[in-house]
Amino acid sequence: MIDIKKTYKNYVDGKYVRSESGKTYTKELKNEFYELPLTSKKDIRDAVTSSKNGYKKWSSATPYLRMQILYRLSEMIEGNKESYVELLMDHGLTKQKATKDIDESIQNIVWFAGLADKWEQLAGNLNPVSEEYFNISHQNPIGVVFSLSSSNVSLNELLMSILPSLTVGCSVISYSEENSVLALKFAEDINNSDFPSGSLNILSGKFENILNDVSKHVEINLVALHKELDKEGLKTIEQNASESVKRVFSQPSIEGLSSILPYLETKTVWHPKGT
Amino acid sequence: MKNIKTHGTSIEWSNVLEMVHESRIDSVGLNERVNSLATRSIKKDSKLEALNMIVSMCDLTTLEGEDTEGKISQMVAKAIKPNPLDNSVPSVAAVCVYPSLVHIAKEKVQHSNVKVAAVSSYFPSGQVPMESKLLDTKYAIDSGADEIDIVINRKAFLEGDYRKVYDEIVALKEVCQDVHLKTILEVGDLKTYENIRKASLISLAAGSDFIKTSTGKLSVGSSRHACYVMLKSVLDFESKIGIKAGIKVAGGIRDAKDAIRYLVMINEEMGSDWLSPELFRFGASSLLDDVLKQIKKLKTGAYQAGYYFPRG
Repeated sequence: MIDIKKTYKNYVDGKYVRSESGKTYTKELKNEFYELPLTSKKDIRDAVTSSKNGYKKWSSATPYLRMQILYRLSEMIEGNKESYVELLMDHGLTKQKATKDIDESIQNIVWFAGLADKWEQLAGNLNPVSEEYFNISHQNPIGVVFSLSSSNVSLNELLMSILPSLTVGCSVISYSEENSVLALKFAEDINNSDFPSGSLNILSGKFENILNDVSKHVEINLVALHKELDKEGLKTIEQNASESVKRVFSQPSIEGLSSILPYLETKTVWHPKGT
Repeated sequence: MKNIKTHGTSIEWSNVLEMVHESRIDSVGLNERVNSLATRSIKKDSKLEALNMIVSMCDLTTLEGEDTEGKISQMVAKAIKPNPLDNSVPSVAAVCVYPSLVHIAKEKVQHSNVKVAAVSSYFPSGQVPMESKLLDTKYAIDSGADEIDIVINRKAFLEGDYRKVYDEIVALKEVCQDVHLKTILEVGDLKTYENIRKASLISLAAGSDFIKTSTGKLSVGSSRHACYVMLKSVLDFESKIGIKAGIKVAGGIRDAKDAIRYLVMINEEMGSDWLSPELFRFGASSLLDDVLKQIKKLKTGAYQAGYYFPRG
């Protein structure tokens, strides 16, 4: 049998693409060398263009459809469970830990799938006002989200950096540095789950290369950092982001309902009660 | 056979026919040349200059049934000051509207150097009797149009009645007198390079000041390949007759990158004389928005969003 190796590529706009720069970086796992795309600033530009279009499709999809697609994703991962466990073990995890990570991942996806048509009732509300009006805080997805995934090798942690924003209807650019083999493998299940192209783009590379371009890009509405950055890096990001009033969250909560709150924008509506 | 005066030069129909008959084109070579010209990389300062040049060459266009006075004022405001926050961005060359809206546009462009172009001769199809085309054109000129964009008679052209195509343009040029005449070939309807070349030469010989690729109303708009055929025709016409005519590309040019490729092609093939709004124009509605975004991107280093720029 010939051992066929896989070439991992970025996943942008529903397609597997190499970096426009042609550059790669190497990651060694169990004496094997993985060549991964080194995302350039032009790749970021293309991903944002795609995410902007993806946002229109994904945010206008019914919550019911978003729920079905997310549930489908859990089915795909369930089907490929063995290969995920194997890959995590290549990263040095024990079989027990790897299996636990995948099980938790699947459970979390199902939880968020269930939340897809419920979060608005839970996060939005009717405000008490003294006049004869309904005063409603209506919650909207914020738009294009850039999410830097955690450096821990864990599918569950990767998912928790994506699912909260994706569930409420944001389109997400997920960027991985240390666990990029896992992220790019995960892109294949995204591709098989009927997500509209551009709703979730998955890129790999060195974050320092694109830090400036991401934080300055006017069309990215929010930057979520699920990894601890040095003080200086974070300051640069926040300064750049302020130019376009971009929101920046460093290690936002991934617990339950609070996980989706950063990705929402509140619109307040007044409506006469008409007694 | 009467001699027609165009640009102060007489071109006999027999000479036109002779030119038109030499219209064979090596399409493989042409494609290769055009594609190779698209690979040039234009960086930083040159890019900024190119982008500003593109703005100054734009004919900002709205040609819809839904055009109103308000929409025209909004567009003219944008034409005069494309980016209100950046005075170094030049005004566009012209605004392009339907004849019934010329007087409004004309009033709004006062005190600026933006010209008003009107599409006439029953744009975009041109499928009416000649009398109506003349009337349409006369109306636009009387309303104050500085430039007239007409369509060639594609019905006559595709039926092989080149003389009719020629005569119609000549008659319309007579109505125009000194008003700038741009003739739209609608390359999407002409299908072949040979046809584009024939139509270019006929239009030039009949006295057009500009030849223009498309109406923008077909799904097939301008292409660099069609533009290449047209620019070669303009050059051949210049070498035979001694008159420099202009080219306007329109329809389907949506981003700055593509527009820069046109400029590269014009500069390489025709020389820098043609890199001026006097001889080269872009028909644009969405192109300008992207160019403004790219200019700001170059100056700030940040990729821009469309909603920070004026609509129009």
